[in-house]
Formats: sequence, C-alpha cells, structure tokens
Amino acid sequence: MATSLLKRLLLATLVLWSIATAVFLISKVMPGTYGSEQLNQADPGYYSRGDATVLDRAYREFLRSTNQDLPLFYFSVASGATPDTLHRVFPMRDRLFLERLALRYGDPRQATLFFRNLKGFETAIAEQQRTILQPYLYAIYQHTQPVQLQHALQALDTLPLAPTSDTQKQRMLADGYTLLNTSIKHRYLQPAFQWHGLSNQYHLWFSGMAKGNWGISLRDGRPVAQVLYEAIGNTWWLLLASMVFASLLAMELALLMIRRAGRKWRQITLPFLFLLDSIPVFVLAILLLVLLASPAFLQLFPVYGMGYHTASEPNLFARMSQWLQYMALPMISLVLVNLPYLTNQFYHALKAVSEQDYIRTARAKGLSESAVIRRHMLRNALLPVITLLSDFLPALVAGAVIIETIFAIPGVGRLLIDSVLARDYPVIVGIVVVIALFKLLSHLLADLLYHVADPRLRQAAR
Amino acid sequence: MKHLIILIKSAWQSAPAFRLALSFLLFLGLVAIILPWLPLPFQPNELDLDAVYTRPFDWTRFQEDKSFHWLGTDGLGRDLLSNLAYGTRSAFAISLPVMLLASLLGLLLGAASGFYGDRRASISRGRKLMLVPALFFFLFYALYVPLQLTSLQVASTDYWLAALLALAVPALLVVGIGALLKRIPYLKAKSSLPLDGLVLRLIEIETSIPRLVLILALAALFPPTLMALSILLVLTFWTGPARLARAEMLRIRTLPFFEAATSLGVPESRLMVKHALPHLLPPVAVAFSFGLAGLLMLESTLSFLNIGVSSELVSWGRIIAGIRANTSAWWLVVIPGATLSATVLALQTCSYYLLRASQHRVS
Repeated sequence: MATSLLKRLLLATLVLWSIATAVFLISKVMPGTYGSEQLNQADPGYYSRGDATVLDRAYREFLRSTNQDLPLFYFSVASGATPDTLHRVFPMRDRLFLERLALRYGDPRQATLFFRNLKGFETAIAEQQRTILQPYLYAIYQHTQPVQLQHALQALDTLPLAPTSDTQKQRMLADGYTLLNTSIKHRYLQPAFQWHGLSNQYHLWFSGMAKGNWGISLRDGRPVAQVLYEAIGNTWWLLLASMVFASLLAMELALLMIRRAGRKWRQITLPFLFLLDSIPVFVLAILLLVLLASPAFLQLFPVYGMGYHTASEPNLFARMSQWLQYMALPMISLVLVNLPYLTNQFYHALKAVSEQDYIRTARAKGLSESAVIRRHMLRNALLPVITLLSDFLPALVAGAVIIETIFAIPGVGRLLIDSVLARDYPVIVGIVVVIALFKLLSHLLADLLYHVADPRLRQAAR
Repeated sequence: MKHLIILIKSAWQSAPAFRLALSFLLFLGLVAIILPWLPLPFQPNELDLDAVYTRPFDWTRFQEDKSFHWLGTDGLGRDLLSNLAYGTRSAFAISLPVMLLASLLGLLLGAASGFYGDRRASISRGRKLMLVPALFFFLFYALYVPLQLTSLQVASTDYWLAALLALAVPALLVVGIGALLKRIPYLKAKSSLPLDGLVLRLIEIETSIPRLVLILALAALFPPTLMALSILLVLTFWTGPARLARAEMLRIRTLPFFEAATSLGVPESRLMVKHALPHLLPPVAVAFSFGLAGLLMLESTLSFLNIGVSSELVSWGRIIAGIRANTSAWWLVVIPGATLSATVLALQTCSYYLLRASQHRVS
C-alpha cells in the first residue's frame, strides 16, 4: 500500500507540475499583460510632451520589477531570422516591428542596426519637422512590401533636414539600403536554438512557487498567496455546507427510492431530477434570484454580498445567522444543481448492493425494511461513494465560479473571473494550481479512506 | 455508419420520448438553417429605444402598421424573438463543428490507445529516437512559422511552403534517418511505444481541473476570437469520446470475431476500419450528444460572463446577461433559459436512448 500511495503521489506531483507549467508558459507567450495597454497606447498628451518618455520609463521599470525583461525559459527555439536580443526591446509595439523587419529581410543583425538608427533618427528630429516627417515614418513602420520601404527611404533621402538630424538620417538610410539589398528570402524557415541559462522567468517563478512565494498580483500589488487565502476562506464554507446538504439530501432521496414501496417516489423524483439536470447553473441561480430575492416577486432573501458592517462586534450566533441569510440562495442553487448527479450515483450504488445475497438473507431473516436498508445496505453502498465525493468536491468549484459571480460573493470563483477580465496572470496561475492541488489531495484522501473503510483491501494489500 | 442508423431507427420506433427529443432538435436545426428567409420583423442587434423592457405579448403596444415585439425586448430594445432565433444559429454553429472535431480526435486517440495498448505498437529504437526531433520540427513548421507569418501579411505560397516542410522534414527524419540508424544493431532492436499510457496521462492532466476553470483561465490568455475559443474547446472536449472509444476498443479486442480476424492475418488498417469502427461509432455518438449538451451550456455560460466571446455575438447567454441590469424583467431569463434547458434535455434524452439501444443490442 505504501508503494502504491507513493507512486500515486509522484504521479500527482507530475500532473500538478505540468498543469502549472503549461498555464504559466501560455500566459507568457500570449501577447498583452495587465496594464500594458494603458502604458503602451498613451501618446504624448496635450499638456505635456514628456508623457511618452515618462510612461516608457515607468513601463520598463514595471517589467524589470516583475522580471518580465528576462528570457522566458531555459532555452528558446525561434526562427533563425529573429534577433536573439528581441526580448529586451520595449515597448511591445517596437518589438513587434523589429520582429517583422527581421522576418521579412532574413537578416537579424542588419535589421537591429536599422531599427536602432531609425529610433535614433526619430529622437534627433527637430520639433518643427516632426509633422512633416510623420507620414514617412508611418510608411516605414507599416510597410508590408520591400518596395514600400524603398520608396519611403528614397523620399526621405531627398528631403532637406536640419544638420543635427541629418547625420542620423544618413546612417539610418545607409542601413536601410543595406537591409534591402542583403535580404534573404525564406530565412525564417531555418530554426535557431538558443540557451539562456538559469536566469529566466520560468526558473525564477518556479523556484519562487516551490519556496511558497506565489508572486504579486498585478491588479492590486498584494501577494497572490494572501489574495488567495482571503478568497478561499469565503468559498470554503459555502462549498462545504452545500456539499454536506447535497449529500444528505441525495442520500435520503436514494433511500426513499430504493424501498420496495418506493415506486411512487421513483416516478415523481426521476423525471424531476432529469429535468433539473438539464438546467444550466447560471440559469437556475438567476431564476432563484428573480423569484426569491427581487422586489418584483418574493423578496425573501438578501440579494448580493456576504452581509453588512455593524459598529459593534456581533456575537457568534448573530454572525452565523447573518451569514446563513446571505448564503441561503447560493447554497440552495449549488445543492439543486448537484442533486441529480449525486442522487443518481447513490441510487445506483444502493441498487448494486440490494441485489447481493446477504441482503436476501437479511430479508429472509425477517428484518424490517428500514433495518435492512440502514444497517446492511447503506454501509456497503457508501464505499464507492467515498471516491465519488472526492471527485465531486472540485467539480463544485466550477459551479461556485458562476454562483459567486451572480450573487457577488468575494470567493475564489469571483476572483478568477475578475483576474481573467483584468488579465492578472499571477492570480490566475495561482488559482489553477490551488484547484488542481485541491483535487489531487482529495483523491489521495479518498484512497486512504478507502483503505480504512474496506477491510478487504487491507487484506489484499498484505 | 449503418450500425448507427439501425440504432437510431430502433430507438425511434421504441421510445416516444426519443422521437420528441429528436424532432425538437431537428426543428431547431431547421430554424437555424432557414433563418434568412424567416419573416422576423427585427434584426438581432437592432436597437429600438422606444420599446425598452417590453413584456412578451404586450398587446397594448400592438399596432397594425408597425412591427411588433412578440416576446418583448431587453434593456436596449433588442427584440427577444430574433435574438432567440439567431442565438440558436450561433449556438449550433459553434458547438456542432467543435464537437465533431473533438469526437474525431477522441475517436482516433481512444481507438489507437485501446487497440495498441502499451505493448503492441513497436518501432525500432532508431525511429523512436527520431520521433522527438520530428515532433519538434513539426511543431516549428506547423505552429510557430505560420503564427509568425500572420504578422507579416505574406502571400499564401509561404504558408504552403511551411506546411510542406511540416510534413516533409519529420517524414525524412523518421523514415530516412530512421532507416539509416538501423545499421547500428542496438538501434535496430524493436521497442514498444506506450501509446495507452501517454493518452491516459494526457486525459488525466486535462481532467484534473474542472473544465470551466480551465477554459476561463485559458480564455483570458488567448485573443477573444471565435476561432481561438473553438480550438480551445476542441482541445478540452476530446477526452469524453476518447475514454468511451478506448473502453469499447478494449472490449472488442477480446471478442471472438475480432480475434478470429486477427489470427486470419487481416491487416491492421482493415481491422480498424472494417471490424472495429462500426462498433466504436455508437459509444462515440453517445459521447457526442452528451458533449454537445455540455458545449451548449458552456457556450452560453461564457457569453453570459462575457469572457472569451465578443459581446457582439448573438447568443442565448447574452440575452440572459441582460437580467443583471433589471431583475424584474423575468422574460429575459425564463424564455431563453427554457429554450436552452429544453435543448440540453433533448440532447440528453437522445444520448440516453441511444445508449440503451446499443446496450440492448449487445445483450
């Protein structure tokens, strides 16, 4: 048993690692991060010309403090045409331009030289000439054909400029012509391998995760671990209470249906459950909200949130009753949503047991129906249910995502939605890791419980 | 295919509920197809600001010469009826192709993992060694280069060149260099390819997080286009069909007719297509309709949350999202909610009866 448990633990760690790595890498490969849009799009404003440079500096500082200026992984495979220092070019707009340039002309060194001189030329332009030069620069930045670049360069060549910027212009033009002449077509089809060493984003992130440092939320600058801790505290009790209620209700329903006289119950309950199963979570929650918590119909429950602030510290009972009031509707929705699946599973487990020989013996002994069910059937039927419940707890999280959004409960689900909308990657990665961890732990726990509960397994292990 | 049609026929003849469910689905499909010719008075995104939050069948507003909002309007005066009809179209336009692709992928992977297991697929060590660089080059030319090319706006010939290389370079590596490596005795020896283990691990990794959470987390990362979302959905929904196909393949492999065919020396490809595939189709069809129901729910949930889909996409979930601004507008949740639930119910009924019919035939 110890070896099988160890094997499972190892496998579970592997699964956890691959999920976390995949989400992290995808989040980094995809363009756009939190705040980058605001910082990138800000053109020089009406009031101050310094805006662009200040923003640029702030953005670089932000990237440096969040390690985003480092290479992504231990190694990288890129097209042979891309410059190897591409990850150091900021802002994103410039990086994409340089990448396009290098890909099109197949010469990373010359493309970088041209790009640098172009930037140098741009800063050297006198203020009065900026508006005149704007269309040419635009043509260079947006060109899709080599001919267009050539035209733009030739037009710039004939344009008289102030002597301060003229030397820069000559340098830029020379590099541009070289780039056009030396262009190698289809160079991008050749792959290039590059080794980056330990100083990369993935290594820093992963070693931080292993040490318990989960990063900083991009949205509010707080540690991810703290944000998660607060959210989990709110979700945990909601999930636990709904799971207990749902399991108890499902078990009672299954017990009612398994009786010999339960035919009538089956005829009523099964279609109802089938119907309930086909209503999506968010529709059910909103229906309940509209019917039971809106002034247009019945206003039995408070609608949003988790309670209100009071000046005096309320005692435990008052706090509990307030919590229950606010949590009643979310809990009812979660219970109703999960009831069909649970009842079905309980019923099938009971049914499988009821066809066993010892049940017939128990009935033949003349035991009463309830004694047979409660004492003989239930205990054996509960065994497969252990696995089921461990599978079920993480699935509840998915329902909680929607329910928390609808009822405005500040839990994990709502945090996930908010971070998704804000592209707050550290928090998203943290939530995914926590949920996966949760599922793996509950599986391991179920394995342990199974061994404790079923003596046959212990015998087999020996 | 014949197998499947017979199953559907027998379910159709024996169960009235199946008949009802299938007719409802066909009706929805018909509505989605003939939508442009339907006499709908409003376009789905047409704003009618004089008639905001109109109730369904509000006869006080009825005028002979003006078009009428039969099922009412939402907070911007968009007509509920045409939103419902166009929502049907986008729901099926997204979920049908996605589920077809996912079922195909699941069928392939599941059948292969069930058929070959961990031991049966064997190739020489040299070729196995070459599989890694082959995969690398395939990903490079099939994924990385096209992605780079999209930013360049180049001619389509460049894409064809990349596609050609994506197939040619791996083939050259595995077939050509693999054959050369066979000259070394150690690399010539056969070794098994643990296909089953690989597919199972992949399924395990994907199902270790709830699907909704996975989709939400990934939808944040990908650009919010329909194409990206569809790819994401295909990559997460193939596990259901794959599991069922694998289980069925494991069962078929031990059946007498299959063993007889194997011992007669029928080639593998013929075994798969002629002998296994007809038996694999019914369970995959069950997984298909079941997955379709899940996809419909997921699609409307995503458009309700307004994540991963653009808010211009007409969908049932978008109508329902309108209730958050005004909780007394019950028709915004009751009507589309009922349509959605009825569709899901019909799909689940279909898969239930298909499953029962196929089990009936087996026993």
